[in-house]
Amino acid sequence: MTDADATAADAAATDVAADQSKDDVVLRVEDLQKSFGALTATDHATFEVERGTITGLIGPNGAGKSTLFNLVSGFYEPDGGRVEVNGTEVTGMEPYEIADHGLIRTFQTPRKLEGMTVREAMLVGPRKQPGESFLNLFFRPGDVGEHEAANLADAERILEEFEIDHLATQPATKISGGQMKLVELARAMLAEPELLLLDEPAAGVNPTLRNKLAEQIRRLNEQGTTFLLIEHDMDFVMKLADPVIVLDQGSVLMEGTPQEVQTDERVIDAYLGGSP
Amino acid sequence: MRVLSDPKGYWADLTRSEQGVVAFIVAFAGLLLVGLLTGALAPTYFLYLVGLAGMYALLSFGLNSQWGFTGLINFSVAAFFGIGAYGTALMSASSSPIAGDLLPIVGLVVALVVAALLALAIGIPTLRLRADYLAIASLGLAEVVRLVVLNERQFTNGSAGVRGIPPFFEGFPVLADLPQMMPGLAIRPLPGTTIVLETPFWGALLNVVVVLGFVGVSYAVLRRAHRSPWGRVLRTIRSDEDLARALGKNTYGFKMQSFVLGSLIMALAGVFYAHLNLFVSPGDLDPVTTFYVWVAVILGGSGSNRGALFGGFVIVGIREGTRFLNEFAWIPIDVAPLRLLLIGVLIVVLMRYRPQGVLPPQRELIWPKVVDEAPDRPDSGVREAKVGGGDD
Repeated sequence: MTDADATAADAAATDVAADQSKDDVVLRVEDLQKSFGALTATDHATFEVERGTITGLIGPNGAGKSTLFNLVSGFYEPDGGRVEVNGTEVTGMEPYEIADHGLIRTFQTPRKLEGMTVREAMLVGPRKQPGESFLNLFFRPGDVGEHEAANLADAERILEEFEIDHLATQPATKISGGQMKLVELARAMLAEPELLLLDEPAAGVNPTLRNKLAEQIRRLNEQGTTFLLIEHDMDFVMKLADPVIVLDQGSVLMEGTPQEVQTDERVIDAYLGGSP
Repeated sequence: MRVLSDPKGYWADLTRSEQGVVAFIVAFAGLLLVGLLTGALAPTYFLYLVGLAGMYALLSFGLNSQWGFTGLINFSVAAFFGIGAYGTALMSASSSPIAGDLLPIVGLVVALVVAALLALAIGIPTLRLRADYLAIASLGLAEVVRLVVLNERQFTNGSAGVRGIPPFFEGFPVLADLPQMMPGLAIRPLPGTTIVLETPFWGALLNVVVVLGFVGVSYAVLRRAHRSPWGRVLRTIRSDEDLARALGKNTYGFKMQSFVLGSLIMALAGVFYAHLNLFVSPGDLDPVTTFYVWVAVILGGSGSNRGALFGGFVIVGIREGTRFLNEFAWIPIDVAPLRLLLIGVLIVVLMRYRPQGVLPPQRELIWPKVVDEAPDRPDSGVREAKVGGGDD
C-alpha cells in the first residue's frame, strides 16, 4: 500500500460521509473499492439504503456511479470492501445469485430484445419460472402452462398499470426509447425485487413520459419496493428521491435531503470542478 | 387437419414468407414426382436423397438450437457429426478395432454420451467467456477430432475408415430382415416406364423411416423448447446476455444446456449417417459439412426450427442437384465443382436482400394454449419482416 492509499483509507475510515444510523437497511455497501489500471473508479465508498425509500445517487460525470452499480449488482468484482443485501453478504457473487436475494437492476441504455413482442419481452422478467427448466417442459407441462398463464396475466396487468397495454403485441424493438424505459421498469417489477437499481431512468425520455415514469416509481415505492436510482436530471431526482447520496471521485461526498444536498458547498464545488 | 378441411383459410392465415415457402415446396415436390414417374429419378436414389436431406435437417436443428436460439457460434458441427458417426460405427461395425458387432442401438447411446461429454468439455472453459472464444475453441476442436480419428489407427482404422456397419435395425425382431422378405415389385406408373422395387429399395425406405423418426422427435422437442420460458431465456441471452443476468438468470447454465442439446442432435445426424452409408472415414469430418450446415441455418432463418428444416433440404437440393446440371450438354463447363461457388453466391444474395433468412420465426413464442386469441396477422402479433439489420 502506498502512502497515498493509506491516507485515503484513513480518511474513509474516520470520516464517513453517509448516514449510518438507519434502522432497516436493505443494501449496505462498506468500503467498496475498484480500480481499472491506474484509474480508481470506486474509492472506499460506504453507504446504506433504507427499506422503503427512494434513494438518489448523484454525482458529476466520472464520479463512479455506474461502476458502483456494476459492483453492487455483481457485474464487476470489487477489489475490496463488501456488499450486503438484506443482511446477506453478496460480495463477489454472480448477478443471478444477487438477483435471488432481491436486488434487480436496469441499464442506462434500454436493452432491445430482437424478435420479441413487448409481452414476450415482459415474460423474461419473472424469476424461478418452472418453465425455465428444460426437463419440466416435458415432464410437467401442465405446471409450466399454469405459471406461464399466470405470468402473462401479471405482465398484462402491469402493462395496464403503466398505461402501455396497447403496446403488448408490438415488436419490442419498434417502440420509442421512452416506452422502452417504461417496459424495462415494468419487466423489472415482474422479477419482484425488494430493491430496484435504476440507472438513469429518465435519460432520453420526453418530459411527459418522464413525469409518468416518476409517478410510476412513486407508486411502486408506496407498494413496498425500495429504489436506488442514478440520475443526471436534477429536477427529476430532487422531486423524487429522499435521501440523496452524492458521489464524487469514487467516494461518498455527502448524504442528505434534496434541500441539504442542493445547498451544500462541497456538492456545488464538485459539480463545478472547484474542489481540489 | 386444417390444410385439408379449410385450405383457403389456412392459406390466408399464413404470412407471406410462409406462403412463398409452401408454394416452393409444392412446386418442388411436383417436379420430383414427375421425375419419379418418368423414371428419370430412381426410387432408391430418391430415398437416399431424402435420408441425406433428413440428416442435414438434423444438423441444422442442432446448430439452430445453439446459434439460432442462444447465439452460440459453433464451428465444430462436423466434429459432433463425426463423433456420432464414429461412435456408432466403432460399436457396431464388423471391422471395428475396439468393440464391434454390438447392436446399433448401443452405438446410438454410446455416440450420444460421448458427444455430450465432448460438448461439456469444450463448454466448461469457454461458455463463461465472451461468445468469440467458443467460436475459436470450436474451430480448433473440429480439427482436433478429425486428426485424432485420422491418426489413432489402433482405435479408428485411420484413413482406411470403418467398414461393415450394419443397417440401423440390425437385431430388431421383424425390421432387420424386412428388406429381404419384401417381394420385388414392378410398377408401370406411365405407359413405357417400368420401375422395379427390390431389396435395396426396401432397405432405403427403412432408412427414411429412421431419419423421419429422428427428425420428427427432434423437431417436436425443439419446438416445445422454443416456445417455452426456457427458450425465451435463450433468446434473451442471444440479444443481450447482461439483461438476462440482471434479471436473475444463470446464463452460463442456460448456454451449456443449449450447447449440449444442439451437440446431441448433431451426433444423432452422425449416427444416422453411419447406418445410411454403412461406411465412415475421416473424410466425413471435413469442415465443409460445418460450412453447409451454417448456410442451411442462415438461409432458413436463424432461430426458426422450420427454417432449419427447410434450409437442410435446400442444401441437399443444391448439393445433389448440381450433379444433374452436367447432363445439359450446352453448358460449356463442368458445373458440379462450382457447387461451393454457387452456395457462396446464394448466401451473398440472401444477405443482401433478405438477411433474416427465408423463414424466420413468424409468430409470438408463448407456451401453447396460454394465449387464446393468438394474434396471427402481420400487423398485430407477428413481428414484421425486418428491413436490413437483425438476423432472427
